[in-house]
Amino acid sequence: MKAPGQAAGADEPARVLAVWCPRWPEEDASGAEARAFGEVITVVEGFCPEVEILRPGLCLLAARGPARYFGGEDALARQIADAVTAHDVVCHTGVAAGQFAAALAARAVRPDSTGVVVPPGGARQFLAPYPVHVLAAPVLAGQLARLGIRTLGDLAALPARDVASRFGAEGTAAQRVARGQEARRLATGPQQADLSATLEFDPPVHAEPAVFAAKGLAEQMLAGLASRGLSCVRVRVEVTGTDGRESTRLWRHDGLLSALAVAQRVRWQLDGWSPGAAAEDGPDESVCGIAMLRLVPDHLVPDEGRQLGLWGDDLISGRVERAAVRLQAMLGHESVAHPVLAGGRGPGEQVMLVPFGDIRDARHPADRPWPARIPRPAPATVYPVPRPARVIDAAGVPVTVTGRAAVSASPDALTVGDSPWLAITAWAGPWPVTERWWDERNATRRARFQLVTEDGIAWLAAVELGRWQIEARYD
Amino acid sequence: MREKTSQLTGHMERLPAAATASDGTSSGNSVFLRAATFSRPDGSYGDIVVSGDAVLPVLPALAELLPAGGLARGSVVAVDRSGLLCLALVAGASAAGAWCGVAGVPDLGVVAAAGLGAAPARLMLVPDPGPGWPQVVASMLEACEVVVVRPPARPQAEARRRLEGVLRRGGGVLVVAGEWEGAPVRLRVTRRSWAGIGDGYGSLRACRAEVVAEGRGAVTRPRRRWLWLPAPDGTVAPDETAAADLSFRGSAVTGEAARAAAAPRRAAR
Repeated sequence: MKAPGQAAGADEPARVLAVWCPRWPEEDASGAEARAFGEVITVVEGFCPEVEILRPGLCLLAARGPARYFGGEDALARQIADAVTAHDVVCHTGVAAGQFAAALAARAVRPDSTGVVVPPGGARQFLAPYPVHVLAAPVLAGQLARLGIRTLGDLAALPARDVASRFGAEGTAAQRVARGQEARRLATGPQQADLSATLEFDPPVHAEPAVFAAKGLAEQMLAGLASRGLSCVRVRVEVTGTDGRESTRLWRHDGLLSALAVAQRVRWQLDGWSPGAAAEDGPDESVCGIAMLRLVPDHLVPDEGRQLGLWGDDLISGRVERAAVRLQAMLGHESVAHPVLAGGRGPGEQVMLVPFGDIRDARHPADRPWPARIPRPAPATVYPVPRPARVIDAAGVPVTVTGRAAVSASPDALTVGDSPWLAITAWAGPWPVTERWWDERNATRRARFQLVTEDGIAWLAAVELGRWQIEARYD
Repeated sequence: MREKTSQLTGHMERLPAAATASDGTSSGNSVFLRAATFSRPDGSYGDIVVSGDAVLPVLPALAELLPAGGLARGSVVAVDRSGLLCLALVAGASAAGAWCGVAGVPDLGVVAAAGLGAAPARLMLVPDPGPGWPQVVASMLEACEVVVVRPPARPQAEARRRLEGVLRRGGGVLVVAGEWEGAPVRLRVTRRSWAGIGDGYGSLRACRAEVVAEGRGAVTRPRRRWLWLPAPDGTVAPDETAAADLSFRGSAVTGEAARAAAAPRRAAR
């Protein structure tokens, strides 16, 4: 084990500049966001042609060469930030040794500046105060926290051999990150074989079929790597259009790239690249298409075991995946989903639908206490969009709820949409819910009711600003 | 069916001995493999197959209603206007390791399904299958043992026959939320009463529901059962108390009597 002062040395990774756009919705980057981020990439590529994209909203570039050209790391970071900000995108930059420290440095930026530069050899010190939960390994972070290892500094200080024997390859990678080193040593040595995978489309295809093909192509590429005991953390995706245009992007992943993860990145790249958009001789659909897709693995690492923190890979069997891919080809990627239970108070917030094949964690974890959550049992029918309703009392006057959660009169009849009036036989409420009052755009203030109508159906209703809505039905 | 069985035999050979011993449970004349993940020699995961020769398991409370004691493979079950009953029908198979597809039900209550015992991780949802829904359902049946569908329109005879053919060949089960002409089993809720809620107090706790199973063949005589749908813990349980006693607050009876009683109130408005 090295002493803290010795961390800077031959083992320190190359200097990396991270560009982070904080307003980007990282979790659900759909087509439009990926497309918009493509503009940011184009700007950054003006400074350095080799830009690695971690996901929409975060990209990296090797800082050494450009920094010398543009007059130092500070100057480079400032110029990139200015260029991106000129496109009306909020952008923070961070420079440090290694991608992990650089990405955190970009997040550590204070409002009054645009960049943080961690000096060479300072990555370990910079990382030390961060909690272990910043590692992209929630299970490992939980175990560490329970053992009293709460910060990256604590983790870095442990003997490497003990970490390896207790936490395996995952723990070793995490400790190397905490020490300001690369998570995995690169597989060095000559690569005789061509490990890339290429697919030519004849006839040319549009984006959607190309993404499906990418999944199979990625599997082929990974199988080739696996047979040599390798895996990759970065992949170059090359797309060639029928009009001869090419799009080449480097995609990096926090863990190791799986076939699904590669396909996801091909989707992001194609979302931002529509062949024919640049063709000046008019929108001729028939000649614009994707002619070739090539995946080149680079940054190979020895395959040390299982993938970090990806949901569902071992649950979805080949049979189901094939059927899902076929359905997605028929209906579109977003149309086939699997549900992920999430945290929330309303019935609609407790489930997130994730397109099949995508990997996405719930925005809010489900296993936390949610005070004022609707009581169990859960409704069997949850409307994706609440249905407008009207509720009146015995005198025929609409029922209202005051700001202090008092009901104007007993609800007596309910109509949902245009359906006929139903007499209310039992009711409970109001249960006031005030959510996210600190967030102007997403704040809600409503009162929930449960109503039972004469036909035996129970309803979950909510009244907000005097308007009644049916959120769910117990049927 | 033969293909599935041979597939299963293949998996059994690869199963670790302990998993075979603890996961094979016997139920009547069929053997179900519980959700077991097992790896192939190459390290990938094999298909999880719930296999057996005739029926997929259902929750114990529902077994008495169905002539086969479960969901007969290759058959259709129609459920009339009860979301929870649909979910309860598939929850047993899902808990036992089956994949479950849901087509045309954008308002599916996933939390309720999970409460009944269904595994959300083995749900495949197509909220809007569009006009080509029979083709979508057929594709889903290739992957899923059970598919729940709410047809956007009344199914045409040709589409029905095609899907019934797919079911017979593949051994899947189709649960239809709505009408399906010639379905061997039709389930509907005739009466229900909610417990735990009053006139401005309490909250919904449980629902007592009378479920009637009708159909052709073995169920020409309707079977009636009182169930807790749902019970206070979110599951389904048989209601052992006297069926005729409907003395809960907030009780409601579907039928002419209730409508007649409510009619004058609406007229006065």
